[in-house]
Amino acid sequence: MPIALLNFPTDLLGEVFRLCDPFDLYKLSKCSKRARKSIKLGNTKSWKITFSFQNDMNIWVDRYRNYYFKKTENPEDYFKREHMEYMYVQFPDGGALDFSIDLIETFGIRIVGTLSFPSDIFDNFSNVVTALTDRNMEIEEVQIGGTEAGQDVFNFMPLMNQMNTIQDFRCFPKFPSNFHHLFDKYPNNINIHFSSWFTIDQLLDCTSVHITLFRSTLNNQDLNMFLQKWKKAGTFPNLRSLIILHTETIDNQSRILDMVPPIKIADNPRIRVSMKDRDSIVDPVQVKKDDGTVGWLVVEDHREHDGSLEFLM
Amino acid sequence: MSSTEQGTSSAAPAEPTTAPESAAAPEVPESFYYVHGKDKVVHKVSAGALQHSALIHGMISNLGYTEEQAKANPFPFENIDGDILQMVVDWCNQHKGKPTPPEDTNLPKQKEKLFDLVLAVNYLEIKELLTYCCKQVAMMVKGKSPEEIREIWMIPTDAEDEAAEKEAKKRAGKEAAGETAAAAGDAK
Repeated sequence: MPIALLNFPTDLLGEVFRLCDPFDLYKLSKCSKRARKSIKLGNTKSWKITFSFQNDMNIWVDRYRNYYFKKTENPEDYFKREHMEYMYVQFPDGGALDFSIDLIETFGIRIVGTLSFPSDIFDNFSNVVTALTDRNMEIEEVQIGGTEAGQDVFNFMPLMNQMNTIQDFRCFPKFPSNFHHLFDKYPNNINIHFSSWFTIDQLLDCTSVHITLFRSTLNNQDLNMFLQKWKKAGTFPNLRSLIILHTETIDNQSRILDMVPPIKIADNPRIRVSMKDRDSIVDPVQVKKDDGTVGWLVVEDHREHDGSLEFLM
Repeated sequence: MSSTEQGTSSAAPAEPTTAPESAAAPEVPESFYYVHGKDKVVHKVSAGALQHSALIHGMISNLGYTEEQAKANPFPFENIDGDILQMVVDWCNQHKGKPTPPEDTNLPKQKEKLFDLVLAVNYLEIKELLTYCCKQVAMMVKGKSPEEIREIWMIPTDAEDEAAEKEAKKRAGKEAAGETAAAAGDAK
């Protein structure tokens, strides 16, 4: 028996929509402009979207419920569900980007959970940035995939400063040696796999909470400069960890905080310092800020081991 | 610090005893109220069952009616059809003093009444029943195509919406013109 849903008072309509999943509401949006307009009553604005630029788009209703919209060319499969979490849809001519914009506008989504760029699909990156910045979208995580950064990725990095990235920045590809990028605003967590472009000036300026740099070119003098600055009261108020791994520029030729690498304690019993849900380090040396804040430091010389510096607060 | 106390009494082990009936707390008689809908058929409902309705609970909480006073003053809900009110009263009676289960099998089954039921439950502020009803409405379109959703939820097409909007504007214009004419007549 049919029921005239749009005649419900708005608060009841919202209650019904809150009990629907994104697939049902997406299908409802295809019924009419009025239906599409009313969908946001279902608190859909709090949902997050993931941009992966492959053949599916992902909506997070909350931490535990994800819904994948999968592209299909076969009209017979449109709106067919596969398990609970997948539904086949037709992507518009503009592909994944236009489909994402359709989802963002249909549901009134304000947050991008993850913006993931595989390095070979950068054709329309500037359109993505424009689409997101025009809508003042908040981006929790930016992920740049691949191993070698092509010209497209090279061009993308400056545009990243236009986006409101607040949580995580993960960058996997290797950039040419002449590449430079300065963050206007640092995300909370930085994780860079080929980090030679992340210079000491940036590290000294960085306001992130967790910094992880692989294959860094920061040397003993740079790291000494960083730690000397850290020791001063009021500096790096957000920082909880600096992890530098697989580096060939930390050696045993000069001092870091008056200690020559390797820097660790050799006493028994061994001690482990760990951060909740994150890294842990073994046999660290204690270092203190002028205000009494304690940090724990382990440095390995690359000639003896894999060069590394791990610093937790 | 714990300690062990050693007794010296040789009294017989205690036997379970039954309290004399006169010592039991006197049972408070349940109070009843009366409600009626559009059809004026009066339903007698206990205060316990009515607690589900935040609206009615608020109305009766400080009344202190006697049985006679309550009978003489039934709460009128003229905006609710009699059969809908009956469903609501039945549900409240079935769930009197019980926590409501996550899946309610006692929901009214008549789907053709669902729309009116949702409105009544919303008006009477019966939160759990409202959630169940809304869930039932949401479940009606689970896994359906947009065309099926349009039929089940009676979603007008864009053209129908536009026509209805035009019609509403026309009607509003006519009404405004009528009011202006009436006001001019009054002024004369």
